[in-house]
Amino acid sequence: MGGRAATVDGWEDPRRSHRLTPVTDPSPSAPTHTRISPLDPWPDTVVWHPVSRRLVVVELIRLGLTLLFWLVAILVADRFGWPFTGPALALLAVFAVLRGITVVRAVFAWGYAERERDLLVRHGLLIRRLSIVPYARMQFVDVTAGPLERVFNLATVQLHTAAAASDARIPGLPPEEAARLRDRLAALGENLGEGL
Amino acid sequence: MTPRPGLAGVEPRRRLHPLSPLLHSAKMLAALVAVISFQGAAQLGWRGFLGTLVVGMCVVTAYSVVTWLVTGYHVVGRELRIYDGVLVRRTRAIPLERLQAVDVVRPLMARLTGLAELRLEVVGGRSAEAPLAFLTVADAAALRRRLLTLAAQAGAPAGATVSEEAGPAGAEAPPGPSPGETPAGPPPPAPEAPPMGPAPTAAAHPSPPVTPQTAVPQEQHLHTVDNRDVVIGQILTPQVIFLPLAMAAVVAQYLLGAEAWSFVVLASMVAAVIGVLQQPIRRVFSDWNFRVALQVSADHHPSLRVRHGLTETRSQTVPLRRVQAVGMTWPWLWRRRGWLRCQLDVAGYSPTNQGQLPHGRLLPVGNLATAQHLVATVLPTVDITTLPLTGVPKRARWLAPWRQPVLAAGLTDQVFAARDGRITRRLVVVPLVRVQSVRLSQGPLQRLLGLATVHVDTAGALSGTAPHRPLDQARWLAAELTHRSRLARQAEHSEAQSVPASPPAPPADPGPPATDATPAN
Repeated sequence: MGGRAATVDGWEDPRRSHRLTPVTDPSPSAPTHTRISPLDPWPDTVVWHPVSRRLVVVELIRLGLTLLFWLVAILVADRFGWPFTGPALALLAVFAVLRGITVVRAVFAWGYAERERDLLVRHGLLIRRLSIVPYARMQFVDVTAGPLERVFNLATVQLHTAAAASDARIPGLPPEEAARLRDRLAALGENLGEGL
Repeated sequence: MTPRPGLAGVEPRRRLHPLSPLLHSAKMLAALVAVISFQGAAQLGWRGFLGTLVVGMCVVTAYSVVTWLVTGYHVVGRELRIYDGVLVRRTRAIPLERLQAVDVVRPLMARLTGLAELRLEVVGGRSAEAPLAFLTVADAAALRRRLLTLAAQAGAPAGATVSEEAGPAGAEAPPGPSPGETPAGPPPPAPEAPPMGPAPTAAAHPSPPVTPQTAVPQEQHLHTVDNRDVVIGQILTPQVIFLPLAMAAVVAQYLLGAEAWSFVVLASMVAAVIGVLQQPIRRVFSDWNFRVALQVSADHHPSLRVRHGLTETRSQTVPLRRVQAVGMTWPWLWRRRGWLRCQLDVAGYSPTNQGQLPHGRLLPVGNLATAQHLVATVLPTVDITTLPLTGVPKRARWLAPWRQPVLAAGLTDQVFAARDGRITRRLVVVPLVRVQSVRLSQGPLQRLLGLATVHVDTAGALSGTAPHRPLDQARWLAAELTHRSRLARQAEHSEAQSVPASPPAPPADPGPPATDATPAN
C-alpha cells in the first residue's frame, strides 16, 4: 500500500508520455471503466473499449444452464432418497446469486485497447489480468461464434502468438467489430511483421 | 455458406473437394462400426445392427455434408482465411508470411481417391492446425505454390529479393509429406527462417578459426564437462544422499522388530533402491563426456553442437536464434561447491524433426564461471553475474514468506531475468528479441498489498515470471518490456537486412533505449 504512489523514485518515466501515445482514434465517447484501475496502466493515454452488454445475457444463460443441470441432478438424487436435498438446494441458490453478480460484473471487467504497436486486453475480477500482445508477434487471428453467441449476434476474437500462455481473447464483440478488429490485426501484423 | 459479399475484388470462398465429406464420414463410420460390433452386435441382432448402422451412416454423412458446406477458404490480400465449424463457427485468418511450412499430405484414404490434404504449419497453432482436407492433388499443389509465392512477397518488406525465394518454393511443388519451404518470413518467434539468403549475423559471436575447408561447418570447442563432476553432481542429489538413511531405517526396523527377514522384504528393498537410483544413474550415463562447441554453418548462423552420452552417444545442434530462454538452476546440495546447471529452451517448428526441438541442456554441472562463459556465448552481451536484479518489498512476505528475500527480477536492453526459489534457486533469462507477449496479473491479496505479477511469455516452456512486484514497478516493467523487446526485434531485423544489399536504415525510434535504472525496491 505504501508503494502505490504514482511516482516512486525512478519508476515513473517521463519518456513514456510520448512513447505510449494513444493510438486509435481517441474517441472521447468511449467510456472507460475506472473501476479497474490497479491494472489500468497509462490511464490517460489508452482508450479502453468495453465489450458488448449483450454478453451479460449470454453469460447469464450459460450460468442458468449450469444451474439447471445441477438442479436436475439434485432432484434426481432426491427421487432416489438422497437426504441432503434441502441444504443442496439452498447452497445452489446462494451460489446462483453470488455467481450471477460476479458474472455480470466480470463482463464489465473485460476491456481492450488497440495501441500503435500492441493490443491490450484486460479481464478478471478476482484475479485481474492484463495482456500486452505486440501485433508483430501475431501468428493468426481466430473469430469464433458459438450457438448462444450467434443468437445474440456476438463473436469472440482471439489473437494467437507462438507462446501458449499469451492470453489475448476478446469475447462479446458485435460481428462487424470482430471483423474490423480481425482485419486490422491481420493488417498490422503484416505491416509490423518485422517489428517496424 | 455463400461467398460473402465482402469487399470488391475479394475472391470468392472456395469449398473443399466434394468427396471430402464422404472420406470424413467413412472414417467416422469405421469408428462407429468398431464401437457397435463389439458391444451390441450380439444383442441387437442382425437386423438391429444393420438398422443402427444405416441410421448412424445417415447422421454421420449429414453432419459431414453440413461441415463441408460451412467449410471454406480463400486468400484475402496477404492472408488466408479458413472458415469452419458447425456449431461453433470459426474464421481463422493466417497472414501468409507467418506460415512456417505448407505440406501436401496424402493419407491412405485420400490416396485411394486421388485427393490430398494441405497442412499449414503455423507457429502458434497447437492442435495440428487448419488442415485443408481434402483437395485434388493438382489443386493442393497449386494452392501450396500460390501460398508460398505470396508468402515470399509478403515477407519481403521492400518487395525485393523475392524472386530467388519464390523460385525454389514454386519448383518444389511435387506432393508428398516433404516439409515445405519456409517462407522468407520475418523472424517471428522461434523458427526464424534465415532471412534473405546469406546474411552473416555472427557479429557478436567469436568467429571460428578459418581453415581452407569452407564447406564443412566449423566448430569451436567451448567446454567439456569433467566426468568426475557429473558423478559427484548426481551423488549430491536428494535421492542418493538420503538413500543410506532410508535403508538404515528399514534395516533397523527389521533388526529391532520381531518380524523376520524374508526374501520378499529383501527383494522389494532392492527394487526400491534400484528405482530410486535409476534417475541419477541415467543422468550420469547421458551426461558422460558432455561437450559443447560453437558451430557456424555455411549460412553464418551460429549454433551450438552438444554431444554427450556414454552408452548412447548423442549430438544435438541448437541454432542460437531459436533459443527462447536460458534457465539456470542451483540445487541446494550443490551450493557448497558453487555448481549449477544450465538449460536451453529451444522452440519452434523444425523441418527435420517435424515438431518441437528437444529441450536442450547447456551444462549438466559446472561452476559459475563456466556458466557465465556459456551463457555469454548463447546470449551475447549477457553476463549472468552482473544482471541488474532488484528484489521485492518486504510486504511481499505476506504472500511469499519463504521466498521473499530471493525473489528478484531485472531488465537490461537485451534480456529480462527473474530469480526464484529458496532451496533450489532458479534464474531464467529471456532474450527480449524472443518475447512474445507480456502479461500482468493481480490476485485479491496482491491488490491489498499493492503488488502485481509480471509474466513474460516465450514460445518455449521456460518463461519469465516476476511475482509480487510493486504495482508501479510492474507497470514500468510492462511498458519497458514491450518497448525494449520491440527495439531488440528492430535491431535484429535491420542486422539481418542490412548485410545483403540494401541497408534500410531503421527509423530512429523515439524513446532512447533506457539505461538500467532499476531502482532499489
